[in-house]
Amino acid sequence: MTIYRRMNTKDRNPNFFFNDDDHNEVDVAEDSRFRDNDFFSDDAISQEADQLSFMEQESAELIWVKESCNIRITSTDTQAAVSLQAALQVAIGLVLSISILDGDQREKISQELLQISDVEQTNRQKIFIYNTKDARVRTVDTDIAINIQLLFQILLTLVVLVDIL
Amino acid sequence: MSHSSKNHFPSEKVVQVMVDSILRKNGVKREELKSNISEEQKQMLKEMVEDLRKQVEAFQQSNRTDEDSDELRD
Repeated sequence: MTIYRRMNTKDRNPNFFFNDDDHNEVDVAEDSRFRDNDFFSDDAISQEADQLSFMEQESAELIWVKESCNIRITSTDTQAAVSLQAALQVAIGLVLSISILDGDQREKISQELLQISDVEQTNRQKIFIYNTKDARVRTVDTDIAINIQLLFQILLTLVVLVDIL
Repeated sequence: MSHSSKNHFPSEKVVQVMVDSILRKNGVKREELKSNISEEQKQMLKEMVEDLRKQVEAFQQSNRTDEDSDELRD
């Protein structure tokens, strides 16, 4: 039996929710950015691109069981954890976008806040069980648990500041 | 492991100080934050946070119960 699971949070980050009023209508022909192919001159936009990819995380797990019997394997469902993490990031962005009107200021703050939880990490596990009987294996992804805790505390602190709770 | 992570990292106060200093550095005043938000929005955000709180607790709980039940059997 082989179980293989791989996940990368980078692909799941919804990175469009901060941008509501920074994009003004631009005349394509007139705008120098389009003429010179310089799309990165607008600070607010260029910052936004890397804002959330700070949180780069990868979990890979490989479990082999061979010529064995009565093996029990428990492994944390990273998928649920990753989506919870994304939900928390969205929530932090939401509170900021409602409470801070100045777009530039907001970009900077949200960037700094999410940088606190800038935990670039790779978690790889390989487990090989061979010629074994009656074994129990349990794997935990602690990194993501810590990250979720941290993001939730940031969210709580913000919400208290805004006087909601 | 979830026990130790909960107790040692990151302390609530540390996060509070960090968030506060980031806001200060960027020149955001507390009063400003409060005044920009309507009662209706407050209510909505409150519900959202409560919902997330439940999810986070459920997640931590699921890690913990697995661990405890394992310990009991050992």
